Order: sequence, then structure tokens, then C-alpha cells
Amino acid sequence: MEVRGWILTSPYLLYSLVFFAIPLAWSLWLVFTNWNLISTRVDFVGLDNFARAFRSARVHAAFISAYRIMGFFLPMVLVQSLGVALLINSLPWGRAFFSVGFFMPYLASGVAVALVVRGILAYNSPAAPIFKALFGTIPNWFGHPVLAIFIISLLIAWKFSGYYALIFLAGLQSIPKELYEAAELDGARFPTKLFRITLPMLYPAFYTVLIMAVGLCFAIFTEPFMLTGGGPGRATHTWYLEIYYQVFQNLRAGYGAAISFINAAITFASVLIVRRLMQRWGRALGYE
Amino acid sequence: MRKTVFVLATVFALGALAGAVEVVFWTAPNPTQEAFWRSMAEAYMAEHPDVKITVQAIVEGPQGSEGTILAAIAGGNAPTASENIFTGFGAQLVEAGAVVPLNELPGWDELVAARRMTNAIKGWVFGDGNYYIFPIYANAMLFAWRLDILKELGFGEPPATYEGIIAVGKRLKEVYPDKFLWARTALVQPTWWQRWFDFFMLYNAASDGNPFISGGKLVADDEAVITVFEFLRDLNAAELLLTQPAENPFQTGLSIWTNFGPWGIPWMKENFPELVFGENLVFAPPPVPASFGYVRPHKTFADAKGIVIYAPHASGASDEQIDAIWAFIKWVFSSVENDVAWFRQTNLLPLREDLTTNPAFAAVFAETPELIPYAEELPYAVPPLKTPKVQDIQTALSEYGMIPALLGQKTPERAWEDAKREILSLLEE
Repeated sequence: MEVRGWILTSPYLLYSLVFFAIPLAWSLWLVFTNWNLISTRVDFVGLDNFARAFRSARVHAAFISAYRIMGFFLPMVLVQSLGVALLINSLPWGRAFFSVGFFMPYLASGVAVALVVRGILAYNSPAAPIFKALFGTIPNWFGHPVLAIFIISLLIAWKFSGYYALIFLAGLQSIPKELYEAAELDGARFPTKLFRITLPMLYPAFYTVLIMAVGLCFAIFTEPFMLTGGGPGRATHTWYLEIYYQVFQNLRAGYGAAISFINAAITFASVLIVRRLMQRWGRALGYE
Repeated sequence: MRKTVFVLATVFALGALAGAVEVVFWTAPNPTQEAFWRSMAEAYMAEHPDVKITVQAIVEGPQGSEGTILAAIAGGNAPTASENIFTGFGAQLVEAGAVVPLNELPGWDELVAARRMTNAIKGWVFGDGNYYIFPIYANAMLFAWRLDILKELGFGEPPATYEGIIAVGKRLKEVYPDKFLWARTALVQPTWWQRWFDFFMLYNAASDGNPFISGGKLVADDEAVITVFEFLRDLNAAELLLTQPAENPFQTGLSIWTNFGPWGIPWMKENFPELVFGENLVFAPPPVPASFGYVRPHKTFADAKGIVIYAPHASGASDEQIDAIWAFIKWVFSSVENDVAWFRQTNLLPLREDLTTNPAFAAVFAETPELIPYAEELPYAVPPLKTPKVQDIQTALSEYGMIPALLGQKTPERAWEDAKREILSLLEE
């Protein structure tokens, strides 16, 4: 019996060993070295990589960028995904079809999407006259720090809203219809039902989505890599851009590994704070 | 009978393939260069059936082809050899022990002599006295001007000074408020290699070719750097720069001035045939401040690149594979006809001392007169920084210096002080 259990779990264990445990142990060793990925010579440098990372203005910029992106991304993705879930849930038919449709951006290539967005937002694109009519000028989307973060956040929110909508949809479908019927008998209208029944009952879905979304803000790469190169200045310089730059452009594997450990620690700390806040909200709603 | 012949032919073909030495050659992500190398590989394999050369273009990201090559080396997937290597990146590869010294391979001296580059190659030697890069081409970078719009504005020729450019820009805004002088998104992006095509073009001209880094030390001309920063700040303040993406802004007339390398000529001819050199399009060296009193030709940046062969521990290549790719490289560059084909197909100027005197190249200049200004400017073009820290240095120059100065976030003096401090600390590491 035990042998069969080991056999059944072996694919997962093997996967975790190859793609998680071994890389983790290897990078833990790397952070104390100055290995350049190619040379046969490896020097032990103690905590120098961490000290250097804490002093680095580029790392400070990545730290700030993650929270700036979060400030835009979280409200965008929550509103979009919840809106999509409510919309699909209200459909009399074709829910599965539309769910898949909204999920498609999640599967789309980030590179291809970034190129399309770059084309749409070009100064002389066919869409430019619309922007000019709307704003009186053609905004410098990638040349202004706040606009660049806004566009990157919007792009990521578009990509992930269909995915998160599925989580909200599952939550919506688990809310007993009797609750709405009882509320309607008491004369409740849509806003009351939304704020007094739907949103509180979606607490478990909110919890999951928020934890995932917060973690994502520390792992952004493709969009700024393709659209801004981290600019203007360092306004959209993210953790993953810095790790890529150090490891694959400058061959500083040890230093890059140290940054990735700092990135992981800050991600965990941020997720922990969000988790505590969500748990407080959950207790107020009666969830244990 | 037919069946027997077919079987025998198949057996021989498979046998030949099985015994062939397989090598991989990465080309620059430029269709004309890729086409040249494919045709060379096919011709070589026809003569040498014992070698199989796979030609692939480097997949280039926004960070340039260097990132792809480094990622491939780190992942153990490096090719046997690749082109598109400049001296700074070469220095990084040399420091990492990822490339082989080419001058230690058989026939190096003969190849250098055959390609008429005995003097020209001297600038490519590394600190240990070895040559790790076989230089293919060197392009003087020039600025392209829309002569038709310049004339509409009342200027008969491109201005040669900063003051002249500002005057053109002001006139442009008066006549065409929606047009820009220079459209370049990279001006506000810290991507290190983009500085070759803006800052270093202007700096080399403003400093009359004064080195930026020499012998591992920062020796930049302070006044020239600050003047370049001031110039960019003034252009931006006058709303003459477009730093957001635009589709072919120069070709469509949205902007009238742009940095331009000769590799763009075939593409422009194909896609914008209405732009004719000498009629509505001209090339000019970078401008300088009038007060500096330089006379033309002004210095500029030289985009010069070559080939490296990766070390066995970086590419997994055997000695036999290294010998095979080296034999291929020698075969390509021992023949002037191949250099003519390269020049014709890519419009990149072969690094040969006889480029302007050898009649073999005259036909290419006659077919593509746009290349003449590039060839004329070549002696005044300064190659890229030759330091393994080139990426960090140029990133720091962007982040602490050029971009904040251009955006008016710092004074040019303060921006250069900050950039200098950062570059000095990088050089001390």
C-alpha cells in the first residue's frame, strides 16, 4: 500500500525536486558566490551580494515600482474581474463559452500583446486621433512615469482579469439563491444585494485573488521589458527586470540570486500583510 | 535499377550526413545578414560535404542580442560561433573565458593579410595581446535629414551646429506645429546600447573623439558631456523631441532628423521608395556646438562588430567543430568577392583598408550612392567602449546622467556629476 502511495505521488515529488528543491538549494549556494555562470572559478563572497543589493539604487527602484504597480493594478484587476464574473453569471446561456473567451488573454503571448499595445499607443497610430479628441493631446504613454505604470498595470489587469473572474464566478455560483430571494422579499435592490450579500459571500474568492494579485506585482517582467525597458528613467524597473539584467546581461549569477531572495522575502512579507488585513475583514464578516 | 540507384543514393547521403561535422552559426537579427550567411553556408557545404553548418538568426529582445547570447551561454546552448559582437561585449566574454583566441588558430596571419586589414585590426587586440573577435564591418553612424522639409523651412542644407539645429527646430514648429525634429523613444529608456546611437554620436563629435574610458579609467571630456546634456535638454524643452513610440516617424515626415545606420538603407528603399538620396534625403555627421569651433568632418560613433568562436565549455563544441567553423570563416573572408557580396547585400562597410580603393567595391558604391557618406566618415568614427563593464557604465550614464538631464529633472552639471560618481564606483569594483 505504501509503495503504491509513493508511486502515485512520485510525479509530483520528482517535479518539485527538479523544478523547486534543487534550484532553491543551488541558488542558496549561489548567493554567497560571485560565479559568472561560465567560468570554472567560483569565489566565496559571504554576504557581499546582499550588502550590495541593499545599497543599489536599481533595487530600490524595483522595490518602489512593485508598490506603484500594485496601487494601479489591484483596483483595476478587482473591478475588471468582478465585473466580468457578474456579467457572465447574469447570462441566461453560454456562460462556459464567455468564460473561456475572457480567459483567452491569460493564454495570449505577453510579447505579442505588448507589441500590439505598442502599435495602438504609437503617436501616429490610427487610434491617436481618438486620444487627441478625448484628451486634447496625444499622451506620452511610455515617456511619463505615471502613465507608463498605468499602461503596464492596465495590460496586466486585462491579462489576468479573465483568470481571476473564473475564481469569482465559482464564488458567485456557490451563493445560495435563497439569500437573494429573501432579500428581494424584503425589498432589497441591486446595490443592497451586491454590497450586503454578493461581496461578503465572495470573501473566500477575494482572499484568493488578492493574495495571487499581490504576489504577481513582484514578478512582472514581459510588459516593461517589451514596452519601456524599465523607463522612463527607472519608473517601471521591476524586480524581475533587475534580476534578468544582472544575471543574463552582466553574468552576475550570485548577485542576481541574492536579489531574487530579497524579492522573495519582500513578496512574502507583503502577502502576509494582505493576508492579515483580509483575515481581519473576514472576522468582521463572520468567517473564522 | 531505379530503385537500386535511389537506395544507394540515400545510403550515401545518409552516410555523408552521419559523418559530417555539425556546427551552428548565429547571425545578427538582420534579414540581409542572415541571407548572406545562409548563402555562404550553402556554397561552403557544396564544396565541403563533410561539414554541416546550421545558420540561425539571434533572437533579439529589447535588451539587444547580447542578452540572448549570454542566456544561451549560461544555459549551455551557445552556438559554435556567432557574429554581431562588439569590443565591449567581447571584453565581457573574454573576462568570462567564453571565447577562444582566434590568433592562436592556424592561418590567422594569412587571413588578416588576405583581407587587407593588417592595420585596421590593431584596435581589436585585447589586454592579453590576443584577438578574440574577427571584425567584419565598421559603420560610421550618421544622422539622416529630410531635405525636402528642410528646404520647405528655408534651409538649403542640414545644419552642422547645435545652434543651427535649434533654429531649424523652432522654424519647424512655426510651420508644422505637429511635427518633431527627432523622434526617438530610446532617449528616455535606460537600455545601455541605445546610448551608442544618441549620446556617443553627439559626445564623440563634441569632444572631437576624446575617449570616454581609457585603460579602465574615466577620461571623458566633462565640458563635452555637459554640452550634450544641455543640447538634449534644450531640444526637449522646446518640444522638438518625440519620445513616445511612433511608426516610421522619419520616413512618414513626422520628424525630420534621425540617427541612421547604413543597414537601414535596403529596408528604406524597399518600403519608402519615394525617399531618394540627394533629393529629399541626405546624411550628415553629428552636429557640434558652434562655440567649439570644429570644422567638418566631425567625429561620430562607429558601430563595429565581428565574429567570435565560443570556448568548448561555453558551447560544448569539440576541437573538430572549432576547426570546422574556423575553416568556414577563413573561406568566407579570404575572398574579396565574398566581401563585395556582403557589402551589396547588407550595406554594412567591410573592415578593409582597400574599401575605397579596390575596384571590386566600386560597383556597390555606384549602385548605392547613399553608402559614400558612410565610407567617407569611417576614418572619423570612434569605436565602442572596450571594457567588460560597458553595460553597467552605459546604463549608469543613462539613469544618472542623460535621461534626468534631458527630462529637466537635474541640471546637466548635476546629472554628469551623479553619472560620473556612479561610473567611477563601477570602475573601482
